[in-house]
Amino acid sequence: MHTDARTLENGSLIEGDLCIVGAGAAGITLAREWINGGRRVLLLEGGGFDYDPRMQELYRGESVGLPYFPLQAARLHYFGGTTGHWAGFCSTLDPQDFEVREWVPYSGWPITRADLDLYYRRAAPILQLGYDEWTAAEWQRRDPALVPFALDPGAAWTKMWQFSPPARFGTLYRDAIVGARGVHLYTHANVVEILANEGTTAVDSLRVRTLEGKEHRVRAARYVLACSTIQNARLLLASNSRAVAGLGNGHDLVGRFFMEHLEMPSGNLATLGNKPPSTQMYAFVFGRTKARGEIALSAAAQREHRVLNSTVALAAAPLAEQGRSTFEWATPDVVDKMRVDPVVPEDVAASAAVPRTFHLLTRQEQAPNPASRVTLSNERDALGMPRARLDWRLTELDRRSFRGFYEALGRELGRTGIGRLQMRDWVMEPPTAPWPKSLGGGWHHMGTTRMHPDPQRGVVDANCQVHGIANLYVAGAAVYPTAGCVNPTLTLVALTLRLSDYLKAR
Amino acid sequence: MADARSLARPELLAALGGAAVRAIGERYRAMSPAEADVAALRHAIDDSRPFTARFFGAGNPHIDELVRDDFAHGRTVVIEGWLLSVTEARQCALYSFLSV
Repeated sequence: MHTDARTLENGSLIEGDLCIVGAGAAGITLAREWINGGRRVLLLEGGGFDYDPRMQELYRGESVGLPYFPLQAARLHYFGGTTGHWAGFCSTLDPQDFEVREWVPYSGWPITRADLDLYYRRAAPILQLGYDEWTAAEWQRRDPALVPFALDPGAAWTKMWQFSPPARFGTLYRDAIVGARGVHLYTHANVVEILANEGTTAVDSLRVRTLEGKEHRVRAARYVLACSTIQNARLLLASNSRAVAGLGNGHDLVGRFFMEHLEMPSGNLATLGNKPPSTQMYAFVFGRTKARGEIALSAAAQREHRVLNSTVALAAAPLAEQGRSTFEWATPDVVDKMRVDPVVPEDVAASAAVPRTFHLLTRQEQAPNPASRVTLSNERDALGMPRARLDWRLTELDRRSFRGFYEALGRELGRTGIGRLQMRDWVMEPPTAPWPKSLGGGWHHMGTTRMHPDPQRGVVDANCQVHGIANLYVAGAAVYPTAGCVNPTLTLVALTLRLSDYLKAR
Repeated sequence: MADARSLARPELLAALGGAAVRAIGERYRAMSPAEADVAALRHAIDDSRPFTARFFGAGNPHIDELVRDDFAHGRTVVIEGWLLSVTEARQCALYSFLSV
């Protein structure tokens, strides 16, 4: 069922068993799990079914740290959320991403990779991935032309990615949600405050506003925030009627540990030999490639060199040209075009020549950093809610890891005779040097309500429940304690499925 | 010991071309003044061969094997951003002397 909240009588009370705030990848995934479940599920979406600049304007915020995308361009505020312009890149986190790494401050999840295996399998079809296959060997069996580099697995390996068409949840799941029994979607229902009970031990209700000036109240037994990493933090911080510092923020952690993926051109590769190695495994054509490999250091090598987790993507190109970071090529205009136009597979002229030179695009996790944070601005939006202020900050470990990664990878590529690796000048600069102009992320937002069993070290527990708030949960990449080096969507869908199972079992 | 001209053919040459290899070689010479002539470079490469190969000619490894062994044991140098084996950097230096 669907109701436009603008059509409700002002001051309406909406009641249900489970209330999901936000209809993006996490919110829609969760709602789908509860169709025909015998419960009254409320799915609240601030926007409508179509892109609306007035809704996007609600996401505008300040950026006071390192240069960042305009916040209102980085996330989409309508049914389907940011899947409306995502590029469909999917891969799984690695086992070491979940472990405490003594050289990575604040690392470690309260769950393991094995805890997510089942949910990755369930998440794959939701994102329209053809196969739950994540090893180079499996993909080589499927297509013998995909030959991974012969690397020592103790040093480096080929990490597989799959590419969603990309799945646009707004069109893909709209009919299923609108026609669902047990799920009631409310569009144009912007939650502006979470109202806690007197002891701030549970959520009593939500205040919902429309741009047209109506205000409603939503009450449910349990609530799940699924409105993106920055907006989840903003909503918790702005919910300060009873908790002055914001809800769930008794230890000043909400909004901290904001993380991105550093996606930057960092070097070049020249393959060697009379018969250079096949690189088809690593090739990518947007809209055509189903799976490809990127090269990563082994967990042991990361430990030895005390570096963050990274992968490197190969793009065949002359050395004389300069590669561009995701920030440099995926400008807001380009990303908006991905929302407006259907994805058309690139036409690539077939070439018999095996490429020998490549640009290397690194995808590196950002080290968890409490100073990298989302707070509230003094400015308010049209609904009267304080805007978000992003202070994106990096550490020396982020900078040093690039060089450590490239030196270790360069040695392995040299030892195996595959080729020689060249680092860009900024990679070789001291870790205290300023970041180069090519500094960029992947439009990925993680952290701000990190998961930790100790309320003094995390906002949510291992089940994604906000510490100290009995009926409030967070779904999405906001709960990631560390970012891994892969795009967040697959994992956030997997975590949402896990949260759904937990909620059903309670 | 191989002659200087055959040593002055680093595997990199096909991938990067003569100009880039020459620039790398000149940079290496500037970084390593003790190896700033052809004889010194030849000896430096020869001295990096295993003892049995140097004195008994046994199992004399191909230059490419020396290069890969450098990478395996961390005998590397960064020149113009390229992570190179010390042996191949010496090859590049020889190339910079001997190419016209």
